[in-house]
Amino acid sequence: MDPLGRRSSGVNETLVATTEDAPREADLAFDRLYRSSRDDLYAYVATLVRDPAAAEEVTAAAFERAYRKRSRFDRRRGEPRAWLFGIARNAALDELRRRGRQAELAAEPADLISAPAHESAEASERRLALTAALATLDARERELIALKFFAGLTNAEIAAVVDVSESNAGTKLHRAVTKLREACDGAL
Amino acid sequence: MEPFRDNNELVAELRTLRPEPRPEFAADLDERAAAGFPRRPARALAPLSGLLARLRALPPRRLALSAGAVALATVVVATVVVANGGSQTELTHSMGVLRPSERPSSLSSSKPPQSHRGSAKESSGTQYEAGAPVVGASSATSASGTGASSEAETGPFAAKAGHRDVERSAEMVLGADPDEVAGDAAKVFDAVHAVNGIVLSSSVTGGAAGDAGARFDLLIPAAKLGDALADFSAIDTVVSRHEATDDITAPTVRVGEHLRDSRAKVDGLLVQLAGADSDEERAEVEAELRAERRHAAALRSQATKLDRRANLSRISLRIETGAGATSPNEDGSWGAGDALDDAGHILGIAAGVTIIGLAILAPLALIALLIWLAHRTCLRRARERALA
Repeated sequence: MDPLGRRSSGVNETLVATTEDAPREADLAFDRLYRSSRDDLYAYVATLVRDPAAAEEVTAAAFERAYRKRSRFDRRRGEPRAWLFGIARNAALDELRRRGRQAELAAEPADLISAPAHESAEASERRLALTAALATLDARERELIALKFFAGLTNAEIAAVVDVSESNAGTKLHRAVTKLREACDGAL
Repeated sequence: MEPFRDNNELVAELRTLRPEPRPEFAADLDERAAAGFPRRPARALAPLSGLLARLRALPPRRLALSAGAVALATVVVATVVVANGGSQTELTHSMGVLRPSERPSSLSSSKPPQSHRGSAKESSGTQYEAGAPVVGASSATSASGTGASSEAETGPFAAKAGHRDVERSAEMVLGADPDEVAGDAAKVFDAVHAVNGIVLSSSVTGGAAGDAGARFDLLIPAAKLGDALADFSAIDTVVSRHEATDDITAPTVRVGEHLRDSRAKVDGLLVQLAGADSDEERAEVEAELRAERRHAAALRSQATKLDRRANLSRISLRIETGAGATSPNEDGSWGAGDALDDAGHILGIAAGVTIIGLAILAPLALIALLIWLAHRTCLRRARERALA
């Protein structure tokens, strides 16, 4: 009899798997990170590179790089999402450097942000005003907006991605939102 | 149209602008994620880039272990190469003293060594310490009357001598047990007689280890010096052996010339004496003749001594007992002490190799680190500029 009383009863078959077959902790953690960040990462990258096709390419490349480096990730040095978005940021900026173009929301293609068909004229007008206001921000402010409201990162994670202090990131983000609202109010 | 009432309304509206991935792209990315993000053929990397990418993907601990293993293997290989190539004789130093059966072949030859290149006045030797031969840079010796090289005549002394006269000497120490000293001394006498040598002096002392021993001053025909040393080496354990040569061609030639001059002068004086007309003149010539004959006799004596030095080699042979006189392992086998000596020697070489390697690699690593830091800084600035 099991003195600790932990033995399962009614077990008539034992499945044996080698340690090689069992997924490693790093793989499991990366899988969780991928599932929780795929769309967020794409939204952030698309805001940066301004091209849906390029955004897909960069997003895939970022995940690939992160996957290759997954075993080197040290949780003590930051959150996994900040680490992943840092990789994506470098990939996106490298893509921008390659193309010799800048991330400008003013030139945002129509297919990147499309209005739903059932939307009212007033809602559509507010959306356009907001898009135009977004275009008045500089690239770093738009990046902060994208990280915060498109990707859903915390201020601490944003600070890690853009390599500033958390308070500095919060301050900059507040200024960007204020500026955006003022631009919207002026347009409306 | 109403403006945004507050930031929350603005943010809510802003979130509706969030770009969404195409379902096809999302599905394709999910598929690739499930497959472990296989490398795409379109982005096939060059071999070097692929290697770098693999290295980057390695965990730091595994990378450090791999680097450490490579460094260790390099040190081991370098140590083996240095130990085998640089100092073979030193490595065998502690493998035991030279046994009678391990006599150097150069000494077992009955032929006198040939003359060698070098100045007319030089001294060289071949040493055998603790059994391991350590051959000097110019260890070859020459016996009197052997062929001379033309380059040997370019020296400042006896430059035009047709042959070299070389005095050879040797010192040898044999290690023995106290009860073997008498027997070994008898063998020494036998060996000396076998080569028609001369025992100038000898002293055999009995007693305990350290006190017992023997000492011999020997003269051996130079042509048989090699044989004699080989015979002595066969008597007991050779603790040390030293051979030296001294080129005495210059004094030999000089004395010979002076002797010929003196003889000619004597002949001239004899002719002069025969033609002397007066007693006074005869007495003067006879006095001069006596003086010259004394001079010639002195020169002949010098020539004889030089000839003796060239033809007879002096050997100082000692038989010692006690600690240090014999090998730590009486049978000459390799023991724990030898292992410790060799281990220390090998560790010393390994430390030297490591220090040299670090001296070479440290500046290179520093340069590489600076380049990497500069590249990283430039890349970061370039990325920030791309965003601006």
